[in-house]
Amino acid sequence: MPEIPLVSTDAESTDATTTDFDDPVEEAALLASGIELGYGEEIVVDFDDLVIPEGEVTALVGPNGSGKSTLLKGLSAELEPASGSVLLNGRDVQQRPAKDLARELGLLDQENAAPGGLTVEDLATHGRYPHRGFLDPLTEDDREAVERAIDLAGVDHLRDTQLSELSGGQKQLAFVAMTLAQDTDVLLLDEPTTYLDLHHQLRVMEVVRTLNEERDVTVCVVLHDLQQAARFADYLVALDDGAVYDWGPPEDVVTEQLLADVFDVDAAVSFDREDDEPRIVPRRALD
Amino acid sequence: MSRQRRVRDVLLPELDAQLASIIGASVVLVVVAGLVQIRYGAYEMPFETVVRALFDRVVWTNPDVLATLVLGENAARTLGVYADLSVLTNATIVVWTVRLPRVLVAAFVGLNLAVSGAIFQAITRNELASPYILGVSSGAGVAVVFTLVFSLGAYLLPLAAVAGGTAAFLLVYAVAWRGGTTPVRLVLAGVVVGTIFNSLQTGLFYFIESNGVMRTAVAWLAGSLTGVDWTDARIVAVPTLVVVPAALASARQLDVLLLGERAARSLGMSVERIRFLLSALAILAASAAVAVAGLVGFVGLVVPHAVRTFVGSDYRRLMTGCLFAGPALVVVADVVARLALGGTQVPVGVVTGLLGGPYFLLLLRRTESFTEF
Repeated sequence: MPEIPLVSTDAESTDATTTDFDDPVEEAALLASGIELGYGEEIVVDFDDLVIPEGEVTALVGPNGSGKSTLLKGLSAELEPASGSVLLNGRDVQQRPAKDLARELGLLDQENAAPGGLTVEDLATHGRYPHRGFLDPLTEDDREAVERAIDLAGVDHLRDTQLSELSGGQKQLAFVAMTLAQDTDVLLLDEPTTYLDLHHQLRVMEVVRTLNEERDVTVCVVLHDLQQAARFADYLVALDDGAVYDWGPPEDVVTEQLLADVFDVDAAVSFDREDDEPRIVPRRALD
Repeated sequence: MSRQRRVRDVLLPELDAQLASIIGASVVLVVVAGLVQIRYGAYEMPFETVVRALFDRVVWTNPDVLATLVLGENAARTLGVYADLSVLTNATIVVWTVRLPRVLVAAFVGLNLAVSGAIFQAITRNELASPYILGVSSGAGVAVVFTLVFSLGAYLLPLAAVAGGTAAFLLVYAVAWRGGTTPVRLVLAGVVVGTIFNSLQTGLFYFIESNGVMRTAVAWLAGSLTGVDWTDARIVAVPTLVVVPAALASARQLDVLLLGERAARSLGMSVERIRFLLSALAILAASAAVAVAGLVGFVGLVVPHAVRTFVGSDYRRLMTGCLFAGPALVVVADVVARLALGGTQVPVGVVTGLLGGPYFLLLLRRTESFTEF
């Protein structure tokens, strides 16, 4: 990746040099630079620069233990980097008050604790948490945002159902509704489809896609299914052992070389003429 | 939207059949048990006299008399509202100075323990947590026994209990803290600190010399309402005035905390700060109860649990239910503790334990999973 000069936490002073992309720093919703992330002494993720472009869907892919989820924790300010910084729209995520950050950055986990007695609508309403003060009741805006979120997540028919009565897929869609009600410009998703059946996997990804297309929300999603990532994302970031192996549009990133180097899989990659989407046919695991 | 409407929207849940029946049943229980408690005892009187004494016109039409009863003679003198109580009948004196304050204290103790338990169950994400889970009981116990052993003065007992409980809680937090806490770390630290303090307390027992002091110590550790009066009612009422609105206002925070730490953080909650503040609120509630009644067990565990099975885990509803069901349990238990054995009073904590044990036995036989909220 080209060198990107570090920018200060001030959004005005982002005068980056021109590189392969128009202006990666200017276009970046999230920019991680010189980052080292880990737990205690052990550093799991360590690389120079990563740009999550504004208004696009970016997928983080890589094998188990490559640091995808750790990187996401760094991006969401859940984990403080040992060095380097993560800038959200030019401002360091670590420096910002939690509520302030949560109005701009949403996070959806792969699996969520669901208190049984809660209805889907209650859960979606909790998504308004960062927009409400300690004693503020729901405003008209809050109610509208909750309605939009429930509608977009397609859980309208379940709104009065308790979470304990939902299937895993429906539950995840309910949590999607909660995250949507948060009304953020940037959305991080940590393997949102891992425990879901195919139908709900597609439902979740379609909601995310719609959100990106209709409301221009920047999405960064960790996926371990490379094929799914190639289908839904505009950009792929392939991680290998805590470092960025490659970055770019799926048709450039998904190669037989990548599958061999990063995933240790011998596979054939072909391109469908109609949609330019790479097709992966795995053959065998490499030692 | 008017200001009044706003506050109501935020604090009070919608009333539905389940919540209404819990509130209704609790109120009936408190009233009936309260009347029984006031009627029976060494000075017996018919119910008619009880009601007449409670609504004694001399008390209600004479603010000075009421103030003297409730605030105590000294405070009333200081405030210049003192009235001579010899104008009252014997029945009114007994009801107003001995039996009514005991019912009130029982109700306050139940309320505070129930609220405290409800908060700790959310913080530790464990519906078998009690107000004593973070070391309050063992800290308060050591402080109380210490005060008794070294004869520091019985009037210091409430203060010692609160100080000991708070110190233990802070110690638990310090032990559990490692760049942050987790529910599991907090509970484990609570067990560790509790074990150490319990050993200290057992050790201290060997320094007690008189039987009378031993009895006082045991009554404190078991949780007793024997001999409480308006002084105790005042001690517990003041923190309760803070606890009730704060608990209702915190309901939404507790709901979000129950979604899990990661979800709460991604929604913009400062999890550590909120968790500490909520713990402090729960400790305040528990301490208020411990200061006047000692370590009444099982109330803080059973009440939120039982209310949850009726109204679900929405904390606004749960908290409201606890505000009524907690007093009901302790007032009823105290009637049993004081009157069931004829001449001998047992600590109310013994009765709540005897009621709480079987409740959990029943639950254990019926439910498959305990950890699901």
